[in-house]
Amino acid sequence: MPTNKVQTIKEGILNKIHKPEDLVFKENQTKEKYMEVLYIKSISDEAILHDNLLKPFFETSSSEEFLNFLQSNPKVSEFESEQKAIDELMRGVAILFYQDDVFLFDCKMDRNNAVMDTTVETTIQGPQAGFSESLPVNLGLIRSRYPNTTLAVESTEVGKLSKTKVMILHDTKFADPVTLNRVKKFLDTVDIEMFQTGEQLFDSIRKSNRALFPLMLVTERPDRVAVNLASGKVILLVQGSSYAVILPTVMKDLMSSMEDIYQAYWIAKFLQILRYTAFNVSMILPGLYVAVSSYNPELFRVQLAMSIAGSRTGIPYPSFVEVVLMLFMMELLTEASIRLPKAIGPTATTVGGLILGQAAAEAGLVSNIMIVIVSFVAISNFVVPINAFSFTIRVLKYFILLFSTLFGLVGVVIGFFMLLAYMVKLDSFGEPFLTLIQSKPSKE
Amino acid sequence: MNRYFLYLVLLNMIVNVIIFVPKILIDYRYEGAVMGVIIAIPIGVALNYVYCMAINKFPSQGMPEILATSKHRLFKIIHFYSIQLIWFAAGLITLVGFIDILARFVNPEMPKLALLVIYLAAIFLIIQMPTQRVMYFLEIVLFLNIPLIGFIIFQALTNKFLSWDSMLEVGTHIFASPSLKSIAAATYCFSGYANLIIFNRVIKGKLKIWNFITILFLGIFNLFTTFFIPIGFHGSDGAQQYLYPWISTADSLRLTYSPIERVIFLFLMFYMSITLISISVHWHVSFELIKATFKGKFSKKKNWIVIATYTVCSVAAVIYLNTVLLNKITVYWLVFHLGFEILVVAVFFIWARRQTV
Repeated sequence: MPTNKVQTIKEGILNKIHKPEDLVFKENQTKEKYMEVLYIKSISDEAILHDNLLKPFFETSSSEEFLNFLQSNPKVSEFESEQKAIDELMRGVAILFYQDDVFLFDCKMDRNNAVMDTTVETTIQGPQAGFSESLPVNLGLIRSRYPNTTLAVESTEVGKLSKTKVMILHDTKFADPVTLNRVKKFLDTVDIEMFQTGEQLFDSIRKSNRALFPLMLVTERPDRVAVNLASGKVILLVQGSSYAVILPTVMKDLMSSMEDIYQAYWIAKFLQILRYTAFNVSMILPGLYVAVSSYNPELFRVQLAMSIAGSRTGIPYPSFVEVVLMLFMMELLTEASIRLPKAIGPTATTVGGLILGQAAAEAGLVSNIMIVIVSFVAISNFVVPINAFSFTIRVLKYFILLFSTLFGLVGVVIGFFMLLAYMVKLDSFGEPFLTLIQSKPSKE
Repeated sequence: MNRYFLYLVLLNMIVNVIIFVPKILIDYRYEGAVMGVIIAIPIGVALNYVYCMAINKFPSQGMPEILATSKHRLFKIIHFYSIQLIWFAAGLITLVGFIDILARFVNPEMPKLALLVIYLAAIFLIIQMPTQRVMYFLEIVLFLNIPLIGFIIFQALTNKFLSWDSMLEVGTHIFASPSLKSIAAATYCFSGYANLIIFNRVIKGKLKIWNFITILFLGIFNLFTTFFIPIGFHGSDGAQQYLYPWISTADSLRLTYSPIERVIFLFLMFYMSITLISISVHWHVSFELIKATFKGKFSKKKNWIVIATYTVCSVAAVIYLNTVLLNKITVYWLVFHLGFEILVVAVFFIWARRQTV
């Protein structure tokens, strides 16, 4: 029969958890042994419980033997404190009351552990597997690509209500300890109630809690994580999220994709030049159109200036209204196509292509050149491989458009350089945002 | 070879076009500008050398830190205040001059104060950054723009309308006695080193002799292009009739197969960013020196007061200085600057000698 100590612990735990509907409290009894099992059945894997605990319980003959079995089972851990036991119970661990000991038996149910294919960051060739939504599986995927003893894994908890488990990985040989400390301090000061995934940290990185640029990278590819570990970055894995967070992130990382190492050298350089050109085009082009057509048409050679100015004949409002109108329609189209049900998908292409493009031009509401420019801008926006950064560029072009509307060509150039100055000022956990070389730990 | 030091000097060399140096040199081309240029080159390199040898004794320290140990508080205050004013004036003249150019060539229908607004917004963002970041920004701006200026100079030199005869003609006036104004104007090209007052904080290691040889060659090339290329394009008599000789020279270049046919726009777009960073560098030095004259912590309120003062001065300058008045003021300011610079370098050199002896 259970001793007094075990009895008090049991009463204490049962009082604190308010007996939910899916709580199971069962007594198991054989001739020599008596055990009580307490677990929440919706998060515990009852198959594991049955195979690894109940079957041996009923098959071992003496109580001493079963005690030895319990103590040597890797899934069983000792009772430390009531609060910790309750926390573990809430995560799917079963509490065993046996003789005068209390044990914790790890039978967590891991539902979303299917390894998924990459959806957001696809490459033409190379590995196509992405992370799953289960932390141990993700850790295993990374370890199988990075089998080094220098890989350090630490765990912490973020989120007051959600108590999400977060694992911090880094390679002790390459990562800078100063950066690592900053990251850890940052995680300790994060003030979020429900922490679902790493992307919620975007805002907390900046002191004012309002960020425009992404100072961390979120990825679903284990190969990217492994490559980044080797260059000294710190990785965060979040329980329940199939996206890993890479810190610190500088602009060079935000513009790099795994294609750069899976293709030949000159091809990779060409792709990078393409990306940077697309970045610049997507930011500057609308502003440049307003500046050229309304302030300085003489910028371009005569033939080009005539055709730009000529395509605007018959448009009843100034160029910046036209640009804002078209960009707004393009933004609506982009946002809507994320959420379209599959049945209505083709409608969006028709609407976007025919109505917004062709018909608006024929109705005399926008000029032909404007349509070309807007499609250019929209397409080059998505050439940037990191989703968060391409959103940033979508916002930035409105700043440059504003400056160009107010000040003309000067506005475009100075607006661009003001953004550049702001990027020079930013830093990501100590690394300047526009750095070209990752800081190495100082040689001791 | 410490490249940050070279960036500072290079910046001043490039921006001298805006600050009326070509105009002054061309005004005096028959009255001693050529000899003035030839004299200015050794003066400029010598000033560079003396100052850098003195500041090499205090690695990674700006002037406020170097003079922190000095006990003559009055001397320190006068020294700092005068340097702040001169540097602020340098930035201001560049700003007003460039806004005048923009109002004349790019946005003729826009009030000058509107152009001032956007420049001030960008400048105030930059001068409040830490010194190291201003240096990084300078590097980025120069990287983006140097290929363009190289291309323009190449186009200018290989253009079939460049008349080498006119240049040689002006060169024959080499033995006219040099005028002080042209010496001052040509020496300004080498004055970038004086920004080391604050920027020495980000320069690691000592400055070696290679830097000065590079400055010598760059300076010779720069003065040659600033002075002679407008003369080559417009003729030795015709160069005088333009208010901004180099900009009119850029206007006479044509890139026939490019979408932007008139090189003046490329030139002006390039200069918009160069002027921005040049004013920011000068005003950053001035701002940091103001911060250093206050003993306590520099609170946000004082920050805003200084920024407001800068704004008021620039607005007043833009309203009251028209092109002709600005031209005259710049000439006298350049002469004053030359004298002041020689004084500052000499004082610093003697002081550094006494400190480390």
